[in-house]
Amino acid sequence: MNEFARNLSWPVLFGLLLLSLFMILAALAPLIAPYDPWEPGRPFLPPSGTHPFGTNDIGQDIFSELVFGARISLFVGFFASFVSVAIGTLIGLFSGYLRGAADEVLMGATDIVLIIPALPLMIILAAHTSPSIWNIVIVIGALWWTSTARVVRSRVLQLREMPFVEAARGLGAGDCYIVFKHILPNTLQVIMAKFILAVAGAMLTEASLSFLGLGDSMQKSWGMMLSYAFSRGGFINGYWWWYLPPGICISLAVLGFVLIGFGLEELNQDETAVNPL
Amino acid sequence: MTDRTGYLACQSLRYAISLFIIVTLVFLIPRMMPGDPFISLLGEEVYYRSPELVEGLKAQYGLDRPIAEQYLSYLNNLAKGNLGYSFHYSQPVWEVIAYKMKWTFVLLIPSVILGAIFGIVMGAAAGWWRGSGRDTGITSLFLFIYSLPHYWLAMLSVLIFAFCLELFPLSGITGGGLAGLAKLRDVLWHMALPVSVLTLFGAAYNFFIMRSSVVQISGEGFVLTARAKGLRERDVLFKHVLRNAMLPLVTVIALDFGFMVSGALLVEIVFSWGGMGTLIYDAVFARDYPLLHGSFLVIAACVLAANFLADLLYAVLDPRIRGGVQA
Amino acid sequence: MHLIEVLDLKKYYSTGFINRQYTKAIDGASFCIERGETLGLLGESGCGKTTLGRLLLRLIEPTSGKISFDGTDITRLSRKGMRSLRPRMQMIFQDPESSLDPRMRIRESIAEPFKLGLRGKMSRSEMDENIMGLIETVGLNPEHLNRYPYQLSGGQNQRVALARILAINPEFIVADEPTASLDVSVQAQILHLMMDLKREFGLTMLFISHDMEVVRHMSDRIAFMEKGRVVLEG
Repeated sequence: MNEFARNLSWPVLFGLLLLSLFMILAALAPLIAPYDPWEPGRPFLPPSGTHPFGTNDIGQDIFSELVFGARISLFVGFFASFVSVAIGTLIGLFSGYLRGAADEVLMGATDIVLIIPALPLMIILAAHTSPSIWNIVIVIGALWWTSTARVVRSRVLQLREMPFVEAARGLGAGDCYIVFKHILPNTLQVIMAKFILAVAGAMLTEASLSFLGLGDSMQKSWGMMLSYAFSRGGFINGYWWWYLPPGICISLAVLGFVLIGFGLEELNQDETAVNPL
Repeated sequence: MTDRTGYLACQSLRYAISLFIIVTLVFLIPRMMPGDPFISLLGEEVYYRSPELVEGLKAQYGLDRPIAEQYLSYLNNLAKGNLGYSFHYSQPVWEVIAYKMKWTFVLLIPSVILGAIFGIVMGAAAGWWRGSGRDTGITSLFLFIYSLPHYWLAMLSVLIFAFCLELFPLSGITGGGLAGLAKLRDVLWHMALPVSVLTLFGAAYNFFIMRSSVVQISGEGFVLTARAKGLRERDVLFKHVLRNAMLPLVTVIALDFGFMVSGALLVEIVFSWGGMGTLIYDAVFARDYPLLHGSFLVIAACVLAANFLADLLYAVLDPRIRGGVQA
Repeated sequence: MHLIEVLDLKKYYSTGFINRQYTKAIDGASFCIERGETLGLLGESGCGKTTLGRLLLRLIEPTSGKISFDGTDITRLSRKGMRSLRPRMQMIFQDPESSLDPRMRIRESIAEPFKLGLRGKMSRSEMDENIMGLIETVGLNPEHLNRYPYQLSGGQNQRVALARILAINPEFIVADEPTASLDVSVQAQILHLMMDLKREFGLTMLFISHDMEVVRHMSDRIAFMEKGRVVLEG
C-alpha cells in the first residue's frame, strides 16, 4: 500500500478521481437525481432547463436514469469481477502450489476455456436463461477467470520457492495453512490489479450483453439505456442526448478503472503481459 | 522434430476437446432449461404460434428417445452440415448463416489486418519509448480508446461523420440497384466507418500486447549486450528487439480473430450491416434458438480454426518450441 | 548414540520425459553428528551442501538412503509422524529477509510457532512475555517488533530468524550459509550470537558454508563435500 502511494502518477490520480465521482454518484443517487427515473412523462424531449438531458421514449428523465444507472453498472461490474477473480485466484493458488497432476489438469482446463469465444457463449447462455442481474454476473464471472488464474499461478510458483515458505513447512504447517496464511497475502497485489481491470471488462461486457437485448430489463444500467436508445428509435432519429450520455458514463467509469489497474500492473512489473484484458 | 510434433499433437487435443465441449454444450443447454425443451429447441416464435407444427416435429426430434441416442443423432446431423431449421427465416439455418457470414468477413478481414498493423506499430513505439512523455501520451490515448464501448463509438462515428458531416452513409451494405465497379465502390464507401471503428478496437487490443512484449524484451540481457557492443539505437530496435517481439506477429493476427468477432457482431448492428451481427440481434429478439445455436457453432468453429492456425504458425516459426511449452 | 546418522544418502534429479537425464546432487553420503557438536560442511557452490541440509530436515525427499534423528528413521516417517519431529530440527537460511514473510510484522513472524501450538497452549500474555524474552536474547529492541522485514537490516533480520527458531526450542539446527549475505562487520556479530546461543541452549548444529575461516571458527569437526559425497576430517 505504501509503495502504491509513493508511486501515484497523474494518470492513476485521474483514474481515482473518476472513480470517486461515480461512487459518489451511485451512493447519493436519490439525493442527486432530480426525478424518479421510473416516472413516465412526456417522451423524446430534448435537453432543457427542467430535463438537463431530455427524456427517453417513455418520458423518463435521462439524467436521473444516468445517476441511478451508476448503481447498477457499478454493481454488476464489481460482483462479476469478484466472482471471476475469486475463481481465478483459487484455481491459480492450487494449481501453482500443488503442481504436478493438479496443475496440469487445471491449466489444461484454463487453456480450453480461454479458447472458447466468450461473448458468443455468453449470448447463448443469456438467451436461454431469464435475463436478470445475477445471471449476468454469473455468466461473466464464469468465463472471465482465466487471466487471473494464470497470473496468480505465476506468482505462486515464484513464492513457493522462497525460504519463508520452506520455514513454514519446517514448522510443520500444513499445505492449506501455508497457502492461505503465507502465499495468498503475498499475491494480493497481483490480484488487486486484476480485480480492478476485471471490473472494467465486466462493465463493458454487461453493456454489450444489454445492447444485444440480453440485459435485465428491470434494471436501468447504462448498458440498458444505450440498448433502449438504439432499439426504441433514439439512434435512428438522432436523439443524441439519449445515447451519448450513457456511453460517456460507461467510458469514463471504465477509463477510471483501467487507469488505476494499469498503474497497479506497471507497479507490479508483471512478467506476464501488462495487458488490461 | 519429434518435440514439435508432440507439441502440435498436444495442441490439437486441446482444440478437439474445446470443440467437443462447445458442441456438447449446445446440445445440453436447451435440454436443461426448465419448461418444455421444445421452446429451447425450436424457438419461441414457432412454439407459440404453430402448436400443430410442433406436434408434428416431436417425432422428428425424438425427445422421447434416450439422451445418448439423441446426442448421437445430433452429432450425426452436425457432421452432415445440418444445423437445424430456422422458422423465423423459413430456411435451413446453414443457408441463412452462409449468406450472412461473408459480409461479416468483409468487415473482419480488413479490420483485423489494419488493427494489427496499427496496434503493433504504436505498441512498439510506446514500448520503446517507455516512460517518456511520448509513451504516456500514446498509452493514455489507447487506454481511452479501450474504455469506449466499441458499438457506442460506432454510434458516435455515425453521428459525427454520417449525420452531421454527411461524409459517409448512415447504414447498410450498399445503396441498392448498383452493379460491377460502381457497386464495389459503394460497398467500400459503406464499409469505411465500420472498418475504422473495428480497426481502432483491434488496435487497442494489439497495442497493449505489443507494448508489454517490447518492454519485456528490451529489458532482457541480449539487448543490453547489443547496446554494450556499441550498436546504434536504431539497429538495436530493428535488428534485435522487434525481430523477437514480432515473432508472434502472424499468430497475433490469427488470435485477433476471436476477439474481433465479438466486436464485429455489435458494430454490425449499429450500422445495420447485413452480417452475423444483425442476424444474431434479430434471432435474440425472436428467440430463434436454432439460429442462435447454429450461429454460435459456426462462430466458435471459425475462432477455433483461427487459433489453431495461429498455433501451427507459431510452432513453425519459433525455433525454440519444445514439447510441453505453454504458448 | 549419534543425534544424526546418515547412511548412503542419495538425491538424484531427473529431467526430461523421454530422454531421462540424471543430475546426482548427493551420491552416497554417510556421516554422523554427535549431540551438542557443530559439524562444519565445506564445499564449492553448487556441490550440493544446501541440498544436504534440506534433506536432513526432510524439506526435500531423498531418492534413497537412510537418515535417522535421535534413533528414528525419518525417511520412513509419515507426514504426521514427521510433524511431531519437526519442532526439534530447524533451519537458518542464507537470505534473512526472504526467510521471513514480507507481509507479516516481526512480532507475528516470531509468534507464529506459538500460534501453531508448537509450545503447547499459551495465553496472550505468556506469548508476549516469551517474545520479549526472545528479542532480548538475540539482541533486538522492542520497537523492532512492529516493523516489517524490509525495514530491518540483514543482520537484524537474521536475529529475528534466530529468535523464531529459539521460540520453537529445537535440538538441532542446520545453518545454511547464515552470514553469506551479510556485511563483514555484521557477520562477526551474528556468528558470535550463534555461538552464545549454542552454548546456552545446548544445540547441535550443521554449519554449511563455503568460507573456510568461518567454518573453522564455528565448528568442532569439519566435513568436505565433493561430487555428492562427504569426506570427513577430524
